[in-house]
Amino acid sequence: MRKMFVVAVREYLAAVRTKAFLVTLIIMPVLMSGSILVQWLLRDSHDTKTKKFVVVDRTPSGRLYPSIEKVVQAYNEKTIDPATNKPILPRFDLEPVPASANTPEAIAEQRFELSERVRNGDLFGFLDIGAEVLQPGQGETSKQERVVRYQSNRPTSLEFPRLIEGPLLFAIQDLRMDESHLKVPRETIHAIMRPVSVDTLGLTSRNPVTGAIEDATLVDRIAPVAVPVGFMILMFMIIMMTATPLMQGVVEEKMQRIAEVLLGSVRPFDLMLGKLLGMTAVSLTITAVYLGCAYGAARQYGFAAYIPPDLLAWFVVYQALALLMYGSLFIAIGAACTDMKETQNLLWPVMLLAMLPMFLMGSVLQEPNSTVAVSLSFFPFATPMLMILRQSVPPGVPAWQPFLGVALAVLTTLFCVWAAGRIFRVGLLMQGKGAKIGEMMRWVFHG
Amino acid sequence: MSAIVIEDVTKTFRQHVAVDNLSLQVPRGSIYGFIGPNGSGKTTTLRMIMRILYPDRGVIRVLDEPTDGDPNNRSILDRVAYLPEERGLYKTMKVRDVLRFYAELKGFRRSGPEIAAWLERMDLSAWADKRVEALSKGMAQKVQFIATVIAQPELILLDEPFSGLDPVNTDTLRDSILELRRNGATIVFSTHDMSVAEKLCDFIFMIYKGRKVLDGTLESIQDAYGSDTIRVYLDGTATLDDLPGVAKVTDLGRFQELRLAPQADTQAILASLMQRGRLRHFEINRPTLHDIFVRIARPDAGSEEKSHA
Repeated sequence: MRKMFVVAVREYLAAVRTKAFLVTLIIMPVLMSGSILVQWLLRDSHDTKTKKFVVVDRTPSGRLYPSIEKVVQAYNEKTIDPATNKPILPRFDLEPVPASANTPEAIAEQRFELSERVRNGDLFGFLDIGAEVLQPGQGETSKQERVVRYQSNRPTSLEFPRLIEGPLLFAIQDLRMDESHLKVPRETIHAIMRPVSVDTLGLTSRNPVTGAIEDATLVDRIAPVAVPVGFMILMFMIIMMTATPLMQGVVEEKMQRIAEVLLGSVRPFDLMLGKLLGMTAVSLTITAVYLGCAYGAARQYGFAAYIPPDLLAWFVVYQALALLMYGSLFIAIGAACTDMKETQNLLWPVMLLAMLPMFLMGSVLQEPNSTVAVSLSFFPFATPMLMILRQSVPPGVPAWQPFLGVALAVLTTLFCVWAAGRIFRVGLLMQGKGAKIGEMMRWVFHG
Repeated sequence: MSAIVIEDVTKTFRQHVAVDNLSLQVPRGSIYGFIGPNGSGKTTTLRMIMRILYPDRGVIRVLDEPTDGDPNNRSILDRVAYLPEERGLYKTMKVRDVLRFYAELKGFRRSGPEIAAWLERMDLSAWADKRVEALSKGMAQKVQFIATVIAQPELILLDEPFSGLDPVNTDTLRDSILELRRNGATIVFSTHDMSVAEKLCDFIFMIYKGRKVLDGTLESIQDAYGSDTIRVYLDGTATLDDLPGVAKVTDLGRFQELRLAPQADTQAILASLMQRGRLRHFEINRPTLHDIFVRIARPDAGSEEKSHA
């Protein structure tokens, strides 16, 4: 027992004391959430080059153009940061182009000419408003006609059409009202037409102390999804961060022939268990750092309600189980291989097991208590990640489910550790050729 | 009082018999040399003594552990040290930490003073806080040796401890081994260097194809082979292969070693040698360990092996 701890302490210190550990600790979340983070960092640094658009307003006497111009003017004022006087957003330059003759050929010809200007780089895009747009019952229904069209060769840059879409709609509605000579004042129609949104709220509850009924709070759109997904990705990340070096360590000890020295002093099983415990401790250290930071940040920004402390405790339990389970598989693979390249062949089934919860993430989030989600979360290799996912999606899971999940996972973990110990014992002294899965099975059951 | 007792031990890997019905007793306080060609079973035997491998048949007991003891009991191994032939240390660990780790693995705590003393003796004090990867090969080998003996073992198994060491380090290591023996330890080491084995070992054990072929003191082994070797130094380049009464000639460069045919007369040979040229040196010798080793291990020497054994 003591020797096992000596091994565990060495593994822990060897992993934690390095600069690489600190770097990984910082780099990993950056990599995992890289694109989000980069976008967030670059959110204020748009391309500020002026973009030029042509507007062809085919309505009689171009009655829609002024409202577009007004919107763009208001937007352009915001493109300059008043504090630094520097552009923070691209300016939009508008160029009104008189409508062509109202024949299909002339219209097509004009659209082609404008498209050519976009191709030449003279324009960013152009807006073409058909004359029919003012006739109610037209325009919106007959989609095929594409009455209002924004044409551009950059389909992903949609700032301009998004900016004008809403105001343009109101302007069109106003003009249609004028055209139809309604007796009702415009303001009344605006009031009638005012859009209504459906707000998502939690449940109303009664305060146990005062007895007063407390209204539900507005549910954040992002937090209820971000917390479960964050938990799961964090767990996956930590497993990969610690189990992979664990395997590398075993392969290295084999290659450097350290294993034989160690086996002269320690029982193979104690050696393996020591390594496993050391690395589990490493994973819990990483967990503590990340969860601590995340929880601190959540409290700071008022999201703490979405991360109840008991969920954190469950996370730690699942994390430890997952690492013991996957760690022992990784160790077995390391012991059966003679270099890192060989591990790849044996690793993919284990990786597939570990990735399974990630593939199921979407459907489980949508329906966390469906039969499929529940039964899959009892599959021991998926339990840590899927159960924490289901538990962290409100309203959570029946209380017995995590306990059953943990019980099954503990049994599986014990089996994995035992089997890995058998493979470790034989594989560690084997040099030369790596083992096949069949051979590893034989080591497990026949020694 | 035996440090190691091996009784009728056989170990088979698949079809290959690595150790075949081997029995051996290593007395306490002795230096025992294991010799034998590559792949003859030396390392397998050492690994079985360390319980890294288990014999298929037979018993191995170390340091007078009870015969009815649990064969899986490994606590006795805290008093046994093992330096494998292909050695490795954790590259990124500091020398002092590596040594402390190996000491603790043997259950030896408060190893600080012991580590300092050994580093001093091996002239490595300046490297105590350097990482292992910064050491030269010879230094790493000395660190490995310290790691082996740091926990004050009573029985020390060394697989090829001298290979790759320069003469200075070889002397340092030999002195350390002798000092450990003076302090009561039993040392078993395997080697391919016959002159080291001749000089250092109280007993020599040779294993060939898994079987014991020699076991005893150097004198007793040499006695068994008799005084059938003549070492001569003859001016000129005369070939001696056709000399009557000589079974085999080994050219050592400056000297030539003649192995006598059975019942050959050394005086007659001396006389015929004097006719071949100017004789500078004539010495009747017992065969060297090297010679005996080669006689056993070289396939074409098979017939002679029988006549001497």
